[in-house]
Amino acid sequence: MSYEEDNCIHWERLRSGDKQAFFALYNNTYAHLLRFGLKICGNDELVKDCITQLFLQLWSKQQTLRPVSNVQAYLFTALKRHLIDQLTYQSKIHAAVNRMTDEASERELSYEEIIIQVQQDEELKQRLHRAMKALTPRQTELIRLKFFEGLTYEQIAAQTSQSMKTAYNTVYDAIKTLRRLLK
Amino acid sequence: MNFQDYEAVDFACDESFQRYCLEEDDAAILFWEDWISQYPGKKAVIQEARHMVELLSAKQGNRLEQLRHLKDGIAQYDLLQHALVAAPENETISLRRVLPYAAILAGIVLLATTAYLFYQKQLPHSADRMLISAGNELRKTVVLPDGSSIILRKNSTVELAAGFNQVNRDLTLTGEAFFDVTHDAQHPFMVHTALVDIKVLGTVFNVSAYTGNGQMETALFKGKVEVAWKAMPERKITLQPNQKLIINAATVQAPTAAGAQTYKVMPLDADPVDHKAKEIAWVRNRLEIENEPLVEIAAKLEKWYGIPVTFADDEVKNYRYSGTFESETIMKALDALQLSYPFSFRMVNGVIIISK
Repeated sequence: MSYEEDNCIHWERLRSGDKQAFFALYNNTYAHLLRFGLKICGNDELVKDCITQLFLQLWSKQQTLRPVSNVQAYLFTALKRHLIDQLTYQSKIHAAVNRMTDEASERELSYEEIIIQVQQDEELKQRLHRAMKALTPRQTELIRLKFFEGLTYEQIAAQTSQSMKTAYNTVYDAIKTLRRLLK
Repeated sequence: MNFQDYEAVDFACDESFQRYCLEEDDAAILFWEDWISQYPGKKAVIQEARHMVELLSAKQGNRLEQLRHLKDGIAQYDLLQHALVAAPENETISLRRVLPYAAILAGIVLLATTAYLFYQKQLPHSADRMLISAGNELRKTVVLPDGSSIILRKNSTVELAAGFNQVNRDLTLTGEAFFDVTHDAQHPFMVHTALVDIKVLGTVFNVSAYTGNGQMETALFKGKVEVAWKAMPERKITLQPNQKLIINAATVQAPTAAGAQTYKVMPLDADPVDHKAKEIAWVRNRLEIENEPLVEIAAKLEKWYGIPVTFADDEVKNYRYSGTFESETIMKALDALQLSYPFSFRMVNGVIIISK
């Protein structure tokens, strides 16, 4: 069964108060929501808290939930609303709020921006920035597909028209370089 | 290639290892936890590999940790629903108002510990004051007439002043409690403890005032509270979010000696794993121990379970442990601890004695 079909089934069961389906929906969509949230704001703690809040809210109003045609899209929209609320509330991130609410200039954070922003140690941020610069664009792209998007080497190979061995070696060399520069 | 020959880069590139780091599938988690325990010599290499995966995945791991938080939240929610059904006399409460979970997750806590010595203040005598006690329950949830809700910890008591929610919103606390206070600018919410008065301007916080503890502690996560010394009303401290105020109670007895009363304002104690402050852990229904010596753990267990714990040997006091306990008995908790590094314990006349 497909990912979205699973979600639809969990959703319908959740509406009838099935707690197991509720957690199944959470587990099924967690990684997708997290990645989506990280692209909006590079603060992993805030995104994780908002996901928890979103699900707590779903559980508390399960009886009034309506059928939805696309569960993931619904959850994405709801998560985005939570994030905007939080960011507005924190008000220190005005720029981010403007960026999200102003449709014209809406822009996803790049992979490099995300992995640097979630770090809290300033020195590590600097080193990571420098280290990422040392990679070739191809290495950066493969690292992103592997570690951020969570694809397998097989999927990466199919998507980038190369052999699995080449994909693995590219990732391997990139990690080796990063490790050396981050030490 | 054998895993034993793997270097950090090899681990980081291994798909099963990546799934373990990101907690994506249980089989990988089990396999690697087992493998790592078999080869403790590879610890440094594994740690480095994990660090790389964490960096490059933008910290996407710890789904299970987050799932635990959600389950805690749901359990708290169900608990409150239950409490609401049990408190039908509170007609004015709207459900929306007493849902403290989002607030708990946002992490708003105020913690105050007060020495028993100072709890000799005379409570106002009035026929209308109302006493609420948790007794032996681990946690008791109460909804106040003004719509604020409280989770009282074991052996804790709050006493509402006469005219609560009519002419004032004053109460007195012994023990520890988590408050979700309804905003009402006209009627500030006041928490009296033996040592200080805490003025709250509509927020969520936690106050603890334990017996026999040498210091008082007030910790705030969000919102604003003003702490005023009873002995010196002119001395007030307004806490900023993520700060805690610690007063050494032993010195309060001589308030006239200028400067003798030591107090300090410190940042909250954030948990390195989930970044939640340790001050709030009890509300989340578990006891968390992070690489602490047994002597400190014993003090926590004593507070947590309400039973005295003493040591027969000094040596065991320095054994260090980590662990998380949820609503278990103290016997089970000690059993679990001594699995990783053995000690023995016995119960004599209602006191637990720990020895080698």
